[in-house]
Order: sequence, then structure tokens, then C-alpha cells
Amino acid sequence: MSAMSLRSLNLPGVGTKYEFETDKGDTVALFFTKTGTIQMYTLQKSCKTPSAAEMTPVEARRLGNILTGAIIEADQESVEIAFSALADLRVTIHSFLIPKSIAGRTIEDLQIRAKTGATVIAVCRHDKNIINPAPTFVFETGDAALVIGESDQIRMFEREIMVE
Amino acid sequence: MEGIVLALFICLLLALISKYLSVPAIPFYILAGVLLGKAGLGLVSSDEISRFFSDMGLIFLLFFMGLGLKPERIAANRTAVLTSGIIDLNVNMAIGFVGAYLLGFTVIESLIVASAFYISSTAMAITSLIENRKLMLREAETVIWLMVFEDLVLIIFLALISAGNQNLIIFVAKILGVLAVLYALAHYGKEFLISILDRDDELPIIFTFAAVLTTASISMYLGIPETMMVIALGVAFATTDPDAFEQHARPFKDVFLVVFFVFFGVTIDFSGGVNWYVITVICLLAIMSKLISGVLTGIVIHGSALSGLEIWGNTIGRGEFSIAIAVLYASSGLVSPLVGTTIAAMVIVTSIIGSFTAKYSTSLRRGILGLGRKKSPPHRVHSSR
Repeated sequence: MSAMSLRSLNLPGVGTKYEFETDKGDTVALFFTKTGTIQMYTLQKSCKTPSAAEMTPVEARRLGNILTGAIIEADQESVEIAFSALADLRVTIHSFLIPKSIAGRTIEDLQIRAKTGATVIAVCRHDKNIINPAPTFVFETGDAALVIGESDQIRMFEREIMVE
Repeated sequence: MEGIVLALFICLLLALISKYLSVPAIPFYILAGVLLGKAGLGLVSSDEISRFFSDMGLIFLLFFMGLGLKPERIAANRTAVLTSGIIDLNVNMAIGFVGAYLLGFTVIESLIVASAFYISSTAMAITSLIENRKLMLREAETVIWLMVFEDLVLIIFLALISAGNQNLIIFVAKILGVLAVLYALAHYGKEFLISILDRDDELPIIFTFAAVLTTASISMYLGIPETMMVIALGVAFATTDPDAFEQHARPFKDVFLVVFFVFFGVTIDFSGGVNWYVITVICLLAIMSKLISGVLTGIVIHGSALSGLEIWGNTIGRGEFSIAIAVLYASSGLVSPLVGTTIAAMVIVTSIIGSFTAKYSTSLRRGILGLGRKKSPPHRVHSSR
């Protein structure tokens, strides 16, 4: 990978600007404005007028997920994070909607860790988040569970646990 | 009291309309004030309460400006800030002063008109850059730093307004004393300040309000410009957590500033007669002189007169600071009501025209480029098909 120079700049009254030039000579600039919106400009090489898009923070995060290579499905999302400094460690975080078949059962009871190697790190229930649920945590229908592990472990979770 | 309520209600409607049309709200607030006040229907007159609210508006506006002034950043961009800033200052002050003097204002009045004439609206320029998606243009940065320079010049104007007939040495000593106290507080009390701002109860907002008011009243007691000191307070507080202070000061600024603009309009007095000739000439000059300074800046900084057109388009609007100058000098009693009327008219005209030039400056540039191309001999087109 070539050294991509990212310039960041604080503009008084406006916000923070990030700008970098790609290998091919195109320019991408991002502005986090004080009004809370994010503006992204792209300027094609040897072109004079940039094109712009304005995003809310949520939209910008979504764009970020897409750019980092995460697969996004309608109601279930998956994000793979690669830590290049840690021998290219790759971790996947996947969200699952809890089906009727496992409602009423606990994490311990389902033997999630033993069977799949993956870990449930959070559960979202009625817009409230439960972080690091205890082994005695009882699932309900409609819960969304966030599971972390290697991509194989996540696949195992989908096959072993979700269909029980 | 009913006056303020009526004025605020009308401003709420005007704010909705101006947001819908995406033009600045300031000219509408002033016009509403003119219509409601002395010069118009006479429904609203200024009293103790409205004056207090207006003062708050000005003080919070200036505190907010101080929060955004980061001395170390200005030092890092010294040449860019200085070159464009000095062109802007000289061209516009000169044209404003000579214009006003030839139109029959006294020397002092001409200086006041020239100061209000020189200083563009920071709020309008920044909003226009964001809303018209121009942040990536190279001229955007020039405009932003130009606004910072104008803010710095404003601080000097504010000091001059109140220096008046005091002993200069004592005056400067008092200012330096208060500045030292403010910086010592911000420096040694930094952790305490941040711990207060981090709380999520009502304390941060009470603290912000009290700090600004206390600074203003101590300054008044000492006979030094409170306007300048609240800016200094902002600069000092900006070394701790400026975003938190902005968040807590914003509601006060937004509400009180509306009252400030409306009651500026209310106090406009047409009894001395309205000189439409003077107003028209000043408004035209205000637009022309920013074109001259903009084009010069464009040539010097970006090597292109067309860049200057872009700078011009975003800096035509005069606004909050021009009115602040008008209000502060009016209270000094040195000037005829015609000064206030002229500045009000200039703000209304330039801010409305400015909102359009900011929107269409890019098309204007393209249009001029297009015309330039048409004039050159047409290229023969070889079709390969």
C-alpha cells in the first residue's frame, strides 16, 4: 500500500476537514460540520468542480461500514474488522434476530460457546441494549443478538443455534 | 413586556419563512422591528427589559465569537490570514469612509459607517459555504480566514469605542489586569471547568450564563469594554472545552440575539428624515467594494480574478457585527440617527443580495468562463465517425 497522505484541518466556525488524494490523483474531502452533518466531496483528477453529498451521522456510519467491506443485509448486519497490526486478526460481528425456536432459553442452556466458539456480546430488546449478557440471560422472540467471533464460528452459530 | 412577546412571535414566523426560502433571517428581523417600532406602526417600544435582552444578545454573540478564535491556529496560518485580511480591511474601510464622508457624514460618523461597511457577516458567510456545498473550493478557506481576521479587527473597534476620554494608560492596565485574571482562571482552573462541563444536570448551563454575565458586569464596573472582555472570556474558555461551552451558550445567544436584531429595528428613527439617495449609494458601494477587495484577494492568493468573484459572492452580506457597531456607537451619543438608518438599510440590502450571490456565484463563474471561450476562435471538430 502506498503512503496515502491524509490531511486534517480545523476550520474556525465550520468544523474539521479531512482530505486525501488517491493514487490515481482524485481527491476526497470530508467535513464534519458544527451543524452535525457530514459533507463528502469528491473531485476527479483534472476536473474543476467537485460533487458533494451531505449525510447525517447515521448515514455516514453506514457509508463507513460499506467502505470497510462489511456485508449489509436488510435486517441482519455483519461487520468484519481486520487488525492489521495483530497478524491480520479478523473478527466478525453479526446481528441475529432471535427466532421462536430458541425463545425462553438461556445462553448457558444453549451451550453457545461450547458448540460454536462464538460469543453473544450484546442483546437489543425493545430499543434497549443489554451489553455482555450473563449466561443466565433468557432470550425472547424479537430480541436482536450481537454475536462476535471468527467468520467460521459465526457460520456455525447460524447453523447450530439459530435452527434449534 | 408585551412588545417583546409580540416581536418574538413575529420573529418565529419569519424564521420559519427564511429557513424555508433558505435566505438569512437577520434582514427580516430588522424589518419586523422597523415596522413594529418608532418608524412604523409604533406597536413596540424599547424599555428596560428589551434593552437588557438586547444587551444579552450582543454579549452572547461576542462570547460565541471568542470561543471560535483560537490564537494558536491563527498563528499557524499567519500569512494567509494577514494577506487577505489586510486587502479586505484597506479597500473596504477606504471606500466606506470616503463614500460616507462625501455623502455628508461627519468624520466620526464616516468612520462608524466605514467600520460597519467593512465587516461582513461571519454567520452568513459560514452558513452559505456549508449550505451551498462549497467547503471544498479553495476559496472557502480564504473566506473562513477572512472572517477570522475581521473578528480580530472588530475587537480593536470595540476597544476604541469605549476608550473615549479615559486615561489611556489606566484603561490599558485595567484591560490587561482582567485578561490576566481570565487566563489564570482558564489555565489553573482547567480541570475544575471541565469537571463542571461534564455534568449532565443544569450546572454547566448555569455556570456558562453566570460566567459571561459576571465578566460583563465586572468590566462595566471597572469602566472597560464589556464587549471586548466577553470575547476574551470566550478565547480563554476555548482552551478548555469550547464545544461544551458553545452547546451551553447557544440557546441564550439564539434567543437574545433575535431580540437584539428586532429592537435595533424598533429604535430606528425616521423622524430626522430618510435620505434614500445616501442609502442607495452606500448599498451600491457596499456591494462594489467587496467585489474590488474580493478580486484583489483572488488575484493575490489564488492567482485568479474569478476566484475573487467566489470570495465576493460569499462576503457581500453584512450582518450581526455591523449592527453591533451601530448599536454601540449610537449609545455613545456621538452620531445622528441617520447613521443607524443607513447601516440598517445596508445590512438588509446586502444580506438579501448576498444570499443570492452566494447561491449562484459558481454558475456566474462558469458563465463568465463560457463567454470567454465563445469569444476565442472556434476549434474545428474532427468527427471520427
